[in-house]
Amino acid sequence: MATVSQDTGRELRRIVRTNEEIKSVVATAFKINLMAMNAIFLAKRAGQTALGFGVLSNELRRFATDLQKQMAELREMTYGSVTTVTALVKQARVNRVLERARMESTGIGRSLLDDFMRTRHGISIARHREQIAALNRRLNQMIADTAQIVELGSVLARSAKIEAAYGGPFSSALMQVSSDFERTIGDIQRSLENLTKQQDA
Amino acid sequence: MKTARVIFEDGSHKWIALVRDPSRPDYLIDTNEYLVIDNDDAILLDPGGNEIFPAVFSALSTEFDPRKIRQIFASHQDPDIISSLSLWLEFNPELKCYISWLWASFIPHFGGNKETFVAIPDAGMDIHVDNQRLQVIPAHYLHSSGNFHLYDPKAKILFSGDVGAALLPPGEDGLFVEDFDRHIRHAEGFHRRWMGSDKAKRDWCSRVSQLDIQMMCPQHGAIYRGEQVRRFIDWFVQLEIGVIR
Repeated sequence: MATVSQDTGRELRRIVRTNEEIKSVVATAFKINLMAMNAIFLAKRAGQTALGFGVLSNELRRFATDLQKQMAELREMTYGSVTTVTALVKQARVNRVLERARMESTGIGRSLLDDFMRTRHGISIARHREQIAALNRRLNQMIADTAQIVELGSVLARSAKIEAAYGGPFSSALMQVSSDFERTIGDIQRSLENLTKQQDA
Repeated sequence: MKTARVIFEDGSHKWIALVRDPSRPDYLIDTNEYLVIDNDDAILLDPGGNEIFPAVFSALSTEFDPRKIRQIFASHQDPDIISSLSLWLEFNPELKCYISWLWASFIPHFGGNKETFVAIPDAGMDIHVDNQRLQVIPAHYLHSSGNFHLYDPKAKILFSGDVGAALLPPGEDGLFVEDFDRHIRHAEGFHRRWMGSDKAKRDWCSRVSQLDIQMMCPQHGAIYRGEQVRRFIDWFVQLEIGVIR
């Protein structure tokens, strides 16, 4: 069985990796937002032939905004995890020192620490572990929800590609933009897959 | 494990020194902790750092029930003085910690909450341990900018924090100063470097000269007794301080 300090060290490293992936998705979502704005202008210039592309670009912009909100919630959740893990780290340190004190003590000191370690400390560490498990479950659910939003974005990007084919003289420019969308959303999907793998590790 | 030594006892009034841990790693400075007991009540003076908590707790509990410690006095903010606070609070969350007002919002980084701290005003105050009144004596800038010592008029003991401290070499680490001239060499460098204000030093010397002190107990090193206390004050008043030498 892993010790509390091994557990907490692993949790902290996982949180750091999760945060890094979240940062990367947030940056990409911001990029999609800008790309969608450019696509909307391009569609307006293309006029009647790119009406469908314009609608999809608006949807992609909404998608980017939803994704940014979702990632902000995810980040808040990982902050909550840091707080809980920190409490566990602190508890583990206290536990370590008290265990040393227990080993060195005799008489009343020993019996005091025996009782103390058996009751309050055990309960406290178990409670922190439960909190971390609950946070991880919520984090997993949120990553799954985000993956669904991104799947919708992927469908929008593919549809934009089809619409680009009907863009007349603007077709190749629209195709370029929709391919960029598809590639960028692919990056986000890979980041989410990494996040899922980290949660499972 | 440290040793608990009774250094004063008069009826139910007692001073216990928690000293000299042979298993202490040499990268940690050695510290003395003191427990003042009156009847069933006690105050722990400068309880020490996190790392030495086991040694202090185990030694202390051979003489007194640690659950009955109601108060902690921290002479100043250093980690070797008070970083174990959160561990003591585990046993008694109602524990009160007396510290200079200057540090009252810094020390909670070690543990405790708003209810834990009693901010000592610059002029000092009285603390009661059961029936016994202890006087908090200002010692600002010696070495901390918010610094106090504690005087027990019944035992005639002054707990002097870092003043009087000495870094004793192995083999010369007895609990009491035996040979003042030999001992003071181990205190000189420490006082020159750590004590920053000559004016504060002279004020302190004048203040404590008016007290009837039979024992002066520093946080590091050995305890001064009787005539050695006066000799220390005379030595300190003329010492050039605030210098790197």
